[in-house]
Amino acid sequence: MVSERAGPALLEMRGISKHFGGLQALNGVDLTLHAGELLAIVGDNGAGKSTLIKILTGVYAASEGAITMDGQPVSIPNRRASIELGIDAVYQNLALVDYLTAPENVYLGNELKRSFLGIPVLDNGAMREKAARLLKDRLGISLGNIDQHAFFLSGGQRQAVAIGRALIQETVRILILDEPTAALGPEETRRMLEVVQRLKGKEMGLIMISHQLEDVFELSDRIMVLRNGRLAGVRRTADTSRQEVLGLIVGSIRDGEAEAGAGSAVAS
Amino acid sequence: MSVPAVATGRERQQSPLERYVNILGPVAMIVAIGVVMAIFEPRFFRVTNIRIILQDAAIYMVLGMAMTIVITGAGIDLSIGSIAALSAIVMAIFIKDLNVAVYLALIAALGVGVLCGLVNGLIITVLRVPDLITTLSTDLMFRGLALVMAAGAVLQRFPEPIPMIGRGRILNDAIPVPIIIGVVVLLIGVFIYRYTPLGRYAIAIGGNRESAMLSGINVRRNKVYHYMLMGAAAGLAGIMLTGRLNAVQATVAEGFALHTIAAVVVGGTVLFGGRGTMLGTLVGVVLLSMVTNALVILRLAFFWQLVAAGLIIVMSVAFYSYVERRGKGGSDMT
Ligand SMILES: Nc1ncnc2c1ncn2[C@@H]1O[C@H](COP(=O)(O)OP(=O)(O)OP(=O)(O)O)[C@@H](O)[C@H]1O
Ligand SMILES: [Mg+2]
Repeated sequence: MVSERAGPALLEMRGISKHFGGLQALNGVDLTLHAGELLAIVGDNGAGKSTLIKILTGVYAASEGAITMDGQPVSIPNRRASIELGIDAVYQNLALVDYLTAPENVYLGNELKRSFLGIPVLDNGAMREKAARLLKDRLGISLGNIDQHAFFLSGGQRQAVAIGRALIQETVRILILDEPTAALGPEETRRMLEVVQRLKGKEMGLIMISHQLEDVFELSDRIMVLRNGRLAGVRRTADTSRQEVLGLIVGSIRDGEAEAGAGSAVAS
Repeated sequence: MSVPAVATGRERQQSPLERYVNILGPVAMIVAIGVVMAIFEPRFFRVTNIRIILQDAAIYMVLGMAMTIVITGAGIDLSIGSIAALSAIVMAIFIKDLNVAVYLALIAALGVGVLCGLVNGLIITVLRVPDLITTLSTDLMFRGLALVMAAGAVLQRFPEPIPMIGRGRILNDAIPVPIIIGVVVLLIGVFIYRYTPLGRYAIAIGGNRESAMLSGINVRRNKVYHYMLMGAAAGLAGIMLTGRLNAVQATVAEGFALHTIAAVVVGGTVLFGGRGTMLGTLVGVVLLSMVTNALVILRLAFFWQLVAAGLIIVMSVAFYSYVERRGKGGSDMT
C-alpha cells in the first residue's frame, strides 16, 4: 500500500497550529501525504480544513509547526513560494475570472510568451491550443467554444478549468481540491469524480477536502478527520467505515490509540 | 475513459455577435446624431468641423486608453485633469523661465505625469486609501501645485514640436497630428489589453481580486502600474493641450476626468472593473466629442451641453443594464 512505502513522505506537516486573534483554528495538527495517493480531509464546518490547506499554499502563515517535503524542511511564506514548491490548490469558491476565457484562466499568472519585435508578448494562440488539449486529454472536458468567457461555463466546466489551472504548472506535485463538488449538480459531480480519478495514480499527491462521504470513500486512500481544529484521527479508507468516520467527525468516537499516520494500519 | 462534455446548468453559447453587442448602442447614437445634424445643420459635416471633433476626441482617446485600464482594474482616477495641467505648467516653466531644451521639457512633462501616477498608486496600495478618495484629494493637490507654480500667468508661444503636437498637420495639411497620436495610442491600448500581462491582469484584478492574488499576481504592483500609465497619458494630454492653443495656464483641463470616465463607461467598460473595451472607448470619446460639438453648432448654451452629456451617459448605462438583464454581455472586443 502506498501508505507503507519506505523513504520520506512527499509532504509532512507536524504540530501545525493557527490562531486568528483569540480563535484557535488549528491546534497541533499532523498531516502526511505520499506521492500517488489521495488523502481526504473531512470535518464539520469550521473544523479548520480550509485553514490547513491555506497554510500549505502560503495564504496564511502557521502560528506553530513545521513542514517538510521529501524530508527537507520548507517554508511557505507566500503563494509564489508554494507554487515554486509544486503545491497548488483549487479553491472551494470556484475562483475563476469571469471575463477571461478558459485558456486565459488556465494560464493566469503563468502566461506563455513569444517575442514580437524583440518584446515578449502574450502567446494567446499557444495558450489556447495547449489549454484545450490539457482540458481534453487530462481531464476529459471539452468546452463548446474555447473563446467564450468563463462566465458562460457550467459549474463542472468551471471546476475543470480551475483544476487545469493547477495542472498547467508542470511542476505540480501536490494538488489540493477544496470541496471540488460542492457547487455541482449530481451529473456534474459524477463527472468531476471521474476527473479526480484520472488524476490519481500519477506521481502527484492529491488532497481532497469534502463533506460528501460517498465521494471520499469512492476516491481516497486515507481519510483524515479534523474536529474543532484538532486531528480527530486518520484511517485507511479500506479499513474503516462510514459510521467510524462520522463518529470521529462528530466526536462520538474518540481516537484513543496513537494517531494513524503513515504505516500504522494494523491489517490490510 | 472519456468523459463527454454535456451542456448543463448555466452554460450558454456565446455568439461572436454578442461580444460586440455592447458597442452597438453608442454606435447607433453616433448615427442618430449624424442624422439629426444632417437635417438641422449641414455645416456639421464640413471637413473642418469633422476635424475639430476628431482633434478633440484624440485628446480624450489618449486619456481614455489609460482610463480603460485603470477602470478595468477596479480603479478610478479623478486627478487626470490636474496631472495634465501640472505637467503642462512644469514643461512651460522649464522652457520659458529656465531655458531648458524643448525635448527635455517634453520628457519632463511625461515624467511629472508618471510621478503623479506613482503618488496616486502608492497612496492607494501602501496607505490603502480607496482609489476614489485618493484621486479626489490628489486632484486638489496637483491642481494647487500647478496654480502655485504658474502664479496666475498664461505662458505662451512655445517652440516646435509643441505646436506641431497640438495642432500641426501632415500629409498635405490633411491629417492633424493629434489625430495620429490618438490613433497610435488607441493601437497601443489594444495591444496592452490583448497582448500584455498588464492588460490581462487588470481584467483579473478587477474581475476577481482574490483569484488574481491566488494566481500569484502582484495586485498592488499592477495597480501602481495602472496609475503610472494613466499619469503618462495625462502628461501627454497636457502637452497636446498646450500645443493646441500654443498657450497654457494652470486651470487647463478642468473637468477632463469626468468627461474621460464618461466616455470610457459609455463605450462599454464596466465602472466597477473586470470588463473593458478599448474599441468601445474609441466610440465613447468620439460620441461625446460629437455631442459637445453638435450642441455648440446648434448654439445651445454651455449648461445645456452639460445636461445633454449627462443624459447620454445615463442612456448608455441604462442600455448596458438592459443588455445585461437580457442575459447577454461579454464586451471583450479589446
Ligand atoms: N481569516 C480568518 N480570520 C478569522 N477567523 C478565521 C479566518 N479563516 C478561518 N477562520 C476561522 O477558523 C475556523 C476554521 O475555518 P476553516 O475555513 O478552516 O473551516 P473549514 O473546515 O474549511 O469549514 P467549511 O467546511 O465550512 O469550509 C473557523 O472558525 C473560521 O471562522
Ligand atoms: Mg472550508
